[in-house]
Amino acid sequence: MKRTYLGEFEEVVLLTVAVLHESAYGVAITDELDRQTGRSVSISAVHAALHRLEEKGMLTSHMGDSTAERGGRRKRLFTVTALGSRTLHDIRAIRDQLWNAISPNALPAISI
Amino acid sequence: MKPQPPAWADRLLESFCAPHLLEEVQGDLHERFERDLSLLGSGQANRRYWFNVLGFLRPFALKRKSTDYPTPFLISPIMLRNYLKTSLRNLVKHKASTLINLFGLTLGVTACLVIYLITYYELSYDTFHPDAQQIYRLVGQSQYDKKSELHPVGFIPHAVPAALQKEVPGIGTVAAFHNIESQVLIPNGTEKPIKFEGRRHGVENAEIVVTDPTYFDIFSYKWLAGNPKTALNEPFQLVLSERKAHKYFGDVPLDQILGKEVIYMDSVHVHVTGIVKDWALPSDFTFTDFISSATIQASQLKKEIHLDQWDDIWSASQAFVKLPKGATTTQFTTQFLRFSKVHYPKEFKFTPDLQPLSDLHFNPDYQDNYSRKAHLPTLYGLMGVAGFILLIAAINFINLSTAQSSQRAKETGIRKVMGSSRASLIVQFLGETAFLTLIAVLVSLLLVNPILSAFQSITPKGLTFNVFSAQTGLFLLAIILATSLLAGLYPSFILSSYVPALTLKGQTGMVAGRKATLRKTLIIFQFTISLIFIIGTLIVERQLRFMRTKELGFRSDAIVSIRPPSAEKGKVLAQKIRQLSGVERVAIEWFPPMGEAYMVTKLKYEGKKQPIEMDVSAKIGDENFIPLYQLRLVAGRNYIKSDSLKEIVINASYAKALGFKRYDDALNQFIDFQGKKYPIVGVVADFHEQSFHEKIGPVFLGYMPHARNLSVKLSTKGKAMSELKATLASIEQDWKAVFPDNRFEYTFLDDSIARLYEKEQKTSQLVNTATGIAILISCMGLFGLAMFTAEQRTKEIGVRKVLGASVASIVTLLSKDFLKLVVIALIIASPIAWWVMTQWLKDFAYKVEIEWWVFALAGILAVGIALFTISFQSIKAALVNPVKSLRSE
Repeated sequence: MKRTYLGEFEEVVLLTVAVLHESAYGVAITDELDRQTGRSVSISAVHAALHRLEEKGMLTSHMGDSTAERGGRRKRLFTVTALGSRTLHDIRAIRDQLWNAISPNALPAISI
Repeated sequence: MKPQPPAWADRLLESFCAPHLLEEVQGDLHERFERDLSLLGSGQANRRYWFNVLGFLRPFALKRKSTDYPTPFLISPIMLRNYLKTSLRNLVKHKASTLINLFGLTLGVTACLVIYLITYYELSYDTFHPDAQQIYRLVGQSQYDKKSELHPVGFIPHAVPAALQKEVPGIGTVAAFHNIESQVLIPNGTEKPIKFEGRRHGVENAEIVVTDPTYFDIFSYKWLAGNPKTALNEPFQLVLSERKAHKYFGDVPLDQILGKEVIYMDSVHVHVTGIVKDWALPSDFTFTDFISSATIQASQLKKEIHLDQWDDIWSASQAFVKLPKGATTTQFTTQFLRFSKVHYPKEFKFTPDLQPLSDLHFNPDYQDNYSRKAHLPTLYGLMGVAGFILLIAAINFINLSTAQSSQRAKETGIRKVMGSSRASLIVQFLGETAFLTLIAVLVSLLLVNPILSAFQSITPKGLTFNVFSAQTGLFLLAIILATSLLAGLYPSFILSSYVPALTLKGQTGMVAGRKATLRKTLIIFQFTISLIFIIGTLIVERQLRFMRTKELGFRSDAIVSIRPPSAEKGKVLAQKIRQLSGVERVAIEWFPPMGEAYMVTKLKYEGKKQPIEMDVSAKIGDENFIPLYQLRLVAGRNYIKSDSLKEIVINASYAKALGFKRYDDALNQFIDFQGKKYPIVGVVADFHEQSFHEKIGPVFLGYMPHARNLSVKLSTKGKAMSELKATLASIEQDWKAVFPDNRFEYTFLDDSIARLYEKEQKTSQLVNTATGIAILISCMGLFGLAMFTAEQRTKEIGVRKVLGASVASIVTLLSKDFLKLVVIALIIASPIAWWVMTQWLKDFAYKVEIEWWVFALAGILAVGIALFTISFQSIKAALVNPVKSLRSE
């Protein structure tokens, strides 16, 4: 099966957009990434990823409301497209399938 | 106020970030800044902001969004064709304004071109010499005694150049030369020699010089024949220019001319030893016959040129110096002063000085008898005039195209909707202007030659026009560029600024007020210039009239001046002419009372308290002098006939200067002249002896034997022109009988007096022409605008007429606005013109007053011309039947 390649960072961003649902925009995504994964990323990196994802058709966007703290500027709000959703599901299915194929003692035990 | 993100970072972001991303990106950054500010404080927040901004320097943020409708490359053939087509259609559609613009621009460009040619020609005089910066003319300051003023002189005592070369170390090469006036004889075997007349002074160039061989070290000539090293070292050697050699000896090979004989001054036989090529570029050095200076001592010339003379200076004696490389004039100042102290211990002083070659053509202080001086202020004035005329033409263009811009607004709108950028619109309109300018330039190229020949009297001699020279080409290119920008930049900005949404709905999308203000300002400017020209014309004309008509103090009409070559035979000629029937009186004199030539000498009067000594102008003539010129005697009598100076007559100014209260008191007093005393027998009323630039000074009249020029008063009573001609013809016959070998020449005194005002005549012609052109262009602009306004207000006029307005009231309505502008222009122009003309009149000792009515007259003229121009359109508009103008929508 041929599918669009998605980098790891892109995948995480795409997932975060899904997490934030209707209110996903640059700063919010950056913050959420920080909170959820502990990864401190720059805003510009997130913007670049969002831009690429949009180009690939996994995300769609529209301009939202303006708020005072942004000096009256509007946010660009992102939502996951059907293609994005499908890709995420595919990735998850492949992961699950792989997890299921691993015999119980194949991985060395890790203590938590 | 709340702290804001660093402004510079924001500005940076705005400059590089793609416009379609900017809002969200900046918004996000600002939001993050807010949070950082509250968590970390302003310093840290600012740093982070900068860091974040710089983080966006990545391809996705830099890349501009591509549109679906790309603008075609500006000068693609398709667009060019389209531009050309619309331009032509527009030009044809607005025929009147196209013609006005074209005509104005053509006039402006032509004026510029002609003036450029003149100024370039004048300024290029003697600039072609190699090492021109090192070449100086030896000039000096002379002083006749301790009390008198220092006179700058362009010539030097004969003995100075040789002494300078010897005594001033490091001065480089010195070359002295002497102009001589002579006829030229070419021996022709056993037959009578071929004769070439001497030059007519002031008309033809000085061509014969006696020169040191070093002349050819200072000025470089191309040698066509002969040896430059030896050509002028020996007595009786001669170098000719190629042109002159062919003139003397016909079309023979130059080598055959070498060794041939030429005779100057009837007795100086010289042989051709070299031939040089004539200079092709403008130069004041018009010499073509170079006689070796060694000839002087060996021939008759020593009677005329005294090489050991220290204390007299003649304008024929000149010297040039070529300083060594790197030397400056200032390093010789002290040496020159010492030189002067050593050689001039007595009353007469002479201090050498150096005049740069580049100054030669322009400085009127240093006189000589070969160069033609160009008046530098006039040249600058000309350049100013050219600039102003072009400016007026450009203003027409600006006014007409902004006025009509609303009609092209639709085109702009459509173009913008179709995806044209503002830049390409500006280029399009500028291109249109350039196209029009190009046509104007082409037309003016055709006009230049006829104009140059029509204005020959005010253009320098030898000026030609070559379209295909590099400088002309460059100048034309510059003019096209400058004019296109000057005329086209503002309109193209206006036209391209229209908002398509508004223009396509039928509004102009412009604030009407601003546009009109600019247009009004420009019209005021145009008319200010025109009015300054008008006032100038009136005042120059008045001054010239004043000079023509003011009582000179003597009669100058029907008087012919003749210059016999010798004094003795001149008396015989005078006697012969006296017997002619058409001749009233003949006087033998030095010079006429008024003219370029005059002589000043020192006279002393032993007054009651102390002796009064002063420079007095001498008017020398026989007893017929005073009656012939009808000088008015206010006291005493004319001097009686004698063979030498016995009695003198003085003028009123001199009598006053000597302190006589009544003129009668001066009679029988004695004046000391060259050690002898002469009685005053009469006093004449003051008369002008020089141009009106100079004040009337003290004058004395008397007879001296070496007077030899003749003044002939023709009787004009009841005579026709043909009879005068007959009298002149019989005078010529008498001349032929007395001087069979000399050409008969005469001048009318009126003409030679008029020649004193040649410069003023030229100024007047120039101002008249400039005025004509300025008024013509301004009026055409006004005409165009009036036409446009009338067109635009057709509906308004129709409604007004329906409501009962009279034709007169509508004409007033349409004219009022324009006239207001002309009046404002008059107010601005008057003081400027007053100042300029006061400066001009300062040069005259006798001048007209600038009276208020001149300004009023200029104002009335301008208003009249403007009214006349506008009335064409306003009356036409007012007479239109309102039914017609209101019917169609």
